[in-house]
Amino acid sequence: MSDTVFEVQDVHYSYLGKFPALSGVNMTIRSGEKIAVIGANGTGKSTLLQLLDGLIFPDRGTVTAFGERLLEHSEVYEKAAHRFRQRVGLVFQNADIQLFCPSVREDIAFGPLQFGVAEGEVNRRILEVAEVLDIQHLLDRVPHQLSIGEKRRVAIASVLAIDPDVYLFDEPTAGLDPLTVRHIIDFIVSANQRGKTIITATHDLHIIGEIADTVYVFGRNKSIVSGGSAESILNDRSLLESNNLIHIHRHHHDGREHVHQHLPLEPHD
Amino acid sequence: MSNPLHKKHDFIERSILSALAFLKDATLSEEYANRKGFLQSLDPRFNTISFLAFLVTAVSLKSALLISSLYLLCLILATLSGIPIRKFLLRTLIFIPLFSLFIVLPTLFSFVTPGEPVWSFHVVGITGIITRPGLDGAVLFVVRVAASVSLVVLLSMTTRHSELLKVLRVFGIPQVFVLTVSMSYRYLYLFATMIENIFTAVKSRVGVVSHHRHGQNIVAWNIANTWNRTTQMSEDVYMAMLSRGYTGEPRLLSAFHAKPQDWLWLLCAVVICAFLFYKGYTL
Repeated sequence: MSDTVFEVQDVHYSYLGKFPALSGVNMTIRSGEKIAVIGANGTGKSTLLQLLDGLIFPDRGTVTAFGERLLEHSEVYEKAAHRFRQRVGLVFQNADIQLFCPSVREDIAFGPLQFGVAEGEVNRRILEVAEVLDIQHLLDRVPHQLSIGEKRRVAIASVLAIDPDVYLFDEPTAGLDPLTVRHIIDFIVSANQRGKTIITATHDLHIIGEIADTVYVFGRNKSIVSGGSAESILNDRSLLESNNLIHIHRHHHDGREHVHQHLPLEPHD
Repeated sequence: MSNPLHKKHDFIERSILSALAFLKDATLSEEYANRKGFLQSLDPRFNTISFLAFLVTAVSLKSALLISSLYLLCLILATLSGIPIRKFLLRTLIFIPLFSLFIVLPTLFSFVTPGEPVWSFHVVGITGIITRPGLDGAVLFVVRVAASVSLVVLLSMTTRHSELLKVLRVFGIPQVFVLTVSMSYRYLYLFATMIENIFTAVKSRVGVVSHHRHGQNIVAWNIANTWNRTTQMSEDVYMAMLSRGYTGEPRLLSAFHAKPQDWLWLLCAVVICAFLFYKGYTL
């Protein structure tokens, strides 16, 4: 039996039919893998995650999930959609989009309830995921009163409560303080250790080493310009530089200022 | 800084920002709903039903004295629920009955309500006569409005709005309607904050003083921009719902659990209403 989760073949996608977002993307993702999709802003990372989550569909090319092709309006897809959504969970970049219920508790409960999970079990899961993500004190709060970090953790909890096989994370650490980033990385790593497939879109190179074994680099041409192990990608200075992914530091040393590029795995001098 | 020039020019901005501040304070802060207090400890379903009974009683009674007793009860409940009376009175008595006074003003006079004259006066050759039936009717109307508004404000201050919306389901309102209203309500705050931020951003670039025509342009642009963002966000939120299994028929938590004190409170409310109706009948 094949352990392929997603098969993406020559996928093209454009917004309103005229703004290209993806152009000829090919990738295969297997069960239990930790994948990172990196690229500068506007290279199609979020679009790819929405395609993998069956929320949008390619103009050209195919996306196959668990051996079934994802097709809009197809009867097979409509029937399989519910099961597919139980197996794939997307944590959106903007937590305000994901947290649409009037309270944190209801947001966490929303997913399981739509899948017909009994209310007693839903309440048990709420407490369980709240403990995992340390948000017990937030359960009866309204989402608009939360900080960005709290919202992000609640958004993850709302997907964790569904217990999917595949987690799609869209910029999970963007704009967060170091401690919350640490919590989210730990969560991703432990989910993967429990056998979950993890696909993360990010341009935060500092977290790649921990959250990914395989990295795909998206370029300005809206397609994959390179793919490989996290170590090989993160040490490829010219690749990262040409794709606007290199960190540039400005320092003061011994009374003089200097600017230099800095790779995530490179020791800083 | 109070500069009359600024006040003249940023009238639209100040109006919008004040409206947003009031909206946030009045409907979104939920400061008192999260406090520990008598009404907050009760099941929102029982609270809503009992307040509905009080409201029906207030609008049905024809005695200003009996309606005042209901108003007094409202003030006692507000105190027991940890709401500062001054703030409660400000929110209820100043604004809404003020408008009811203006509505009721013409009914005081003999040309609308004929009857026994109480007081007459002459202004620029016109004689105004206030009649007793007019005065009684006006007092009854104002007291009734004050009591009704106070009851509604007290309920909304002591119950979280998400719970009030969920109570709608008790009255047979479809879940999809409740969910839609809850979501609209949830995003109000987000868009209110967004509009505030836009004004701050504009101010940081063009300064505090801008010509009123320029101000109008900014507001028009702001409306268009907010419209675009809401459309985009509604599409994104729908995708987020689909992603978590939404199929058009939402299932929501039924989080209410009635306790003995809820039933006791409902019984008290019914007894109070029945007593007032009885007194109103026998008066």
